[in-house]
Amino acid sequence: MTRVAKAASISAFLAVVFILVPVLIIATGRTDLYYTLTSVALLSIASAGVWLTFFIGRINIGQGAYALMGGYVSAILVVNYGVSFWLTLPLAGLFCAAASILIGYPILRLRGVYFAMVTLVLTEVARLLALALPITNGAKGMVSIPLPGALSIFGVTIIPNFAGMQSPRLAFYLLAVTMMVLCFAAMYRLVNSRIGKLCQSLQQNEELASSIGVNIAYLRVIAYAISSFFGGVAGAIFAAISQSIYPSSFTVTDSINFMLNCFFGGLGYVFGPMLGTLVLYFGWDLLFQTGKFQLLIYSTLMIVLMLFLPNGLLSLGDLLRKRGSNNG
Amino acid sequence: MEQVIANGLYLGAQYALIALGLTLIFALMNVLNFAHGQMYVLGGFITYTVYGQLGLPFVVALLASGMTLAVIGALMEKYLFRTVIKRSHREESTMLLAAATAFFFDAVILLIFGEKQRGVPKIVKGVFNTDGLIMPYDRIAVGALAIVFIAAFILYMQYSRPGRAMRALAQDRVAAQLMGVAVERYSMIGFAMGAMLAGIVGGLLVTITGVNSGIGGPISIKAFMMVMIGGAGVVGGAIAGGFILGMMESVGLTVLREYGDVTYLVIFAALMVFLSIRPNGLMGKPWG
Amino acid sequence: MVDLLQVSGLTKRFGGLVAVNNVSFTVREKEILAVIGPNGAGKSTLFKLIASFLRPTSGEVLFKGERISDLAPHIAARKGIVRTFQETTIFKNMSVRENVIIAHHLRSKANLLGFFLGTKLAKADEQAFGTSADEILEFLGLSAISSEIAKNLPHGHLRALGIAIGLATNPTILLLDEPFAGMNHDETMKAVAMVRRLRERGLTVLLVEHDMPAVMKISDRIVVINFGEKIAEGTPAEIQSNAKVIEAYLGSEDEAIGL
Repeated sequence: MTRVAKAASISAFLAVVFILVPVLIIATGRTDLYYTLTSVALLSIASAGVWLTFFIGRINIGQGAYALMGGYVSAILVVNYGVSFWLTLPLAGLFCAAASILIGYPILRLRGVYFAMVTLVLTEVARLLALALPITNGAKGMVSIPLPGALSIFGVTIIPNFAGMQSPRLAFYLLAVTMMVLCFAAMYRLVNSRIGKLCQSLQQNEELASSIGVNIAYLRVIAYAISSFFGGVAGAIFAAISQSIYPSSFTVTDSINFMLNCFFGGLGYVFGPMLGTLVLYFGWDLLFQTGKFQLLIYSTLMIVLMLFLPNGLLSLGDLLRKRGSNNG
Repeated sequence: MEQVIANGLYLGAQYALIALGLTLIFALMNVLNFAHGQMYVLGGFITYTVYGQLGLPFVVALLASGMTLAVIGALMEKYLFRTVIKRSHREESTMLLAAATAFFFDAVILLIFGEKQRGVPKIVKGVFNTDGLIMPYDRIAVGALAIVFIAAFILYMQYSRPGRAMRALAQDRVAAQLMGVAVERYSMIGFAMGAMLAGIVGGLLVTITGVNSGIGGPISIKAFMMVMIGGAGVVGGAIAGGFILGMMESVGLTVLREYGDVTYLVIFAALMVFLSIRPNGLMGKPWG
Repeated sequence: MVDLLQVSGLTKRFGGLVAVNNVSFTVREKEILAVIGPNGAGKSTLFKLIASFLRPTSGEVLFKGERISDLAPHIAARKGIVRTFQETTIFKNMSVRENVIIAHHLRSKANLLGFFLGTKLAKADEQAFGTSADEILEFLGLSAISSEIAKNLPHGHLRALGIAIGLATNPTILLLDEPFAGMNHDETMKAVAMVRRLRERGLTVLLVEHDMPAVMKISDRIVVINFGEKIAEGTPAEIQSNAKVIEAYLGSEDEAIGL
């Protein structure tokens, strides 16, 4: 893509998510869509983290653990210690990143299904810990978390108090979408810089990578920490929106869904997890009308798509381009 | 104490049989079958229907469970996994397919059998009772049957022609192909056998614990854990993993009873530490 | 000539099996030294021990007088001791040029954050790596295929790509893992010429090899191991007339050895 085309498509995307969508929602009165789209944005952030671990050649089914962890960190800080939500947001991410360094250092030596399974187990460990620890309040969870307050720096209010707003839904939507844009911009930059190539070198052959002097253990942990940071931030915003968090807020099912979003969008594409999340989430929602056949139709469509586009939805573009160049 | 060991052995035999099926599919195809627990549930419901509802002999029901799942497994390999493996850039893509089939089975099971917990009449009545050891006869029967199936499986893999071919395939797919092993055919047979084992355990256990449509996922996770403990893709590992998990649960539920879910927290945490130290489980090869 | 690498008393046990037993020798600066031995003699274990891909049970490897035996492979590479692999070990989904560029990792002046932000230093690095990669590809005669995806290359090119990757790290000593394995006579001759040119570039080369005629042609000195132990060391002429070596090779059911 040329520089101009790139700039144009980025501006178009920003215009759609920040202006067109809110305008359409206000015009049609479908404010319920805010919640759906906010969820998509947040889930795609968590999925982006999973995608990043795929990028270094690890199947990560443990993102639910970090989303849960992030949610609890933010909730506990806000409720028990009166910390501003805006401060807890980076803190939740950093806490998850730190935890993931401790956990990741030993388990990232595992490969293939072993890593996948250990991370799956990690999701369960997080849930059971949330049930067992005194500070997380057990199965009752943390409820009535106050809405985010105002954020002001040097007396200038940058973000108004959510509680005083007419429509905190719009505010949450904007928050989630902004975070999503930042997250994917960072991912895009990461993947297209030399770091991306280094990550790919891990994915393709770790032994060779270490023979050319790449500190593979360090790079793996860094990638995993970034991945978990995304998970924690997404979890923290989720807790703020629902004003509650329970041990069952993020479970194995969520961890698996994050992974599926990546597969579905396409493992070879940075924006795969975003598209995957959007389609799977909306698809599931739309199929709600089919009642008890919802899961059947959903899974059948998934299998069919997998048969025809095993490399993800975005591989369709590559296929068409190839066909076009063959004809031309 | 004897009670704990007896419970552990009984559980372990069932678990080992589940893990064997999962590990077989993994060894042959490098596919992590997320739908394994659902296959187990399906097996349970088939035995429930044939034995519990239609009143046919238990053996017939067990056969029906095994055969149905074998056919389903063969079809899944031939029409789904084979195609996706061929077309996909990355091997892991089969995980999406496996997860999708798991959802599919969940949906089908829910539509056909509903969400109620189902049980069947006991296959053997009475309780074995001596000092300090109480074991219902049906549990002993089911445990013994499971061990018979495990033994039969091992003998089949060791001495039959398809068994030897599958072992060659598991060791080195390319080499096996060069040696003239019909790779596609034996992948299909292996997938069918793995599914059949899941169906058989489902049929066995429905007589003790009953079955409901929601337990597929948790069973899959347990099966994954057993396979990891023993080492993915290794028959001995799956059996060892099954018995170890059975024992741990039995001991854990006795010792940590009052703490509820802590048993699993301890098991899971121990497993993570164990795998950090031994990345390939007890007997696994690198990369599984 | 200065001793660059000292292998002293190197031993590796796997359970009860002794794969390498008390092996000592030195590699001098700018020489080509070959380690040979019949199949299963412990060559590849020895190779991995020297490259820090395995830890010895006892004994040590000194590089410029400093112990490198317990270092992680990437640290050994940073110090200037770099290994190549047999042919399938490449970054198979990258182009030939990308393979060589990524292998310049050790030469980067910018850190990870710098690359993420695209600082001046990082851009200068990228530029320099590209130029250097082109030079290496030219040197090894791979320029024509620089944009091919690595997994599509034929065997001979893969071997050369492996060496190109090794060269990109700017090593002091390059360890070659069976560089002539599976080659016919013509290919071997070309590869022999290539290894000679590596030395002309100022590199020290240690190679583990099977192909006796090629080794005789190329090496300054040869170390022979059998059953994990060193049985001889010397110039090609000395090795050719060494009774122990002849016995070892005749005793094994190895292919023709060209003696």
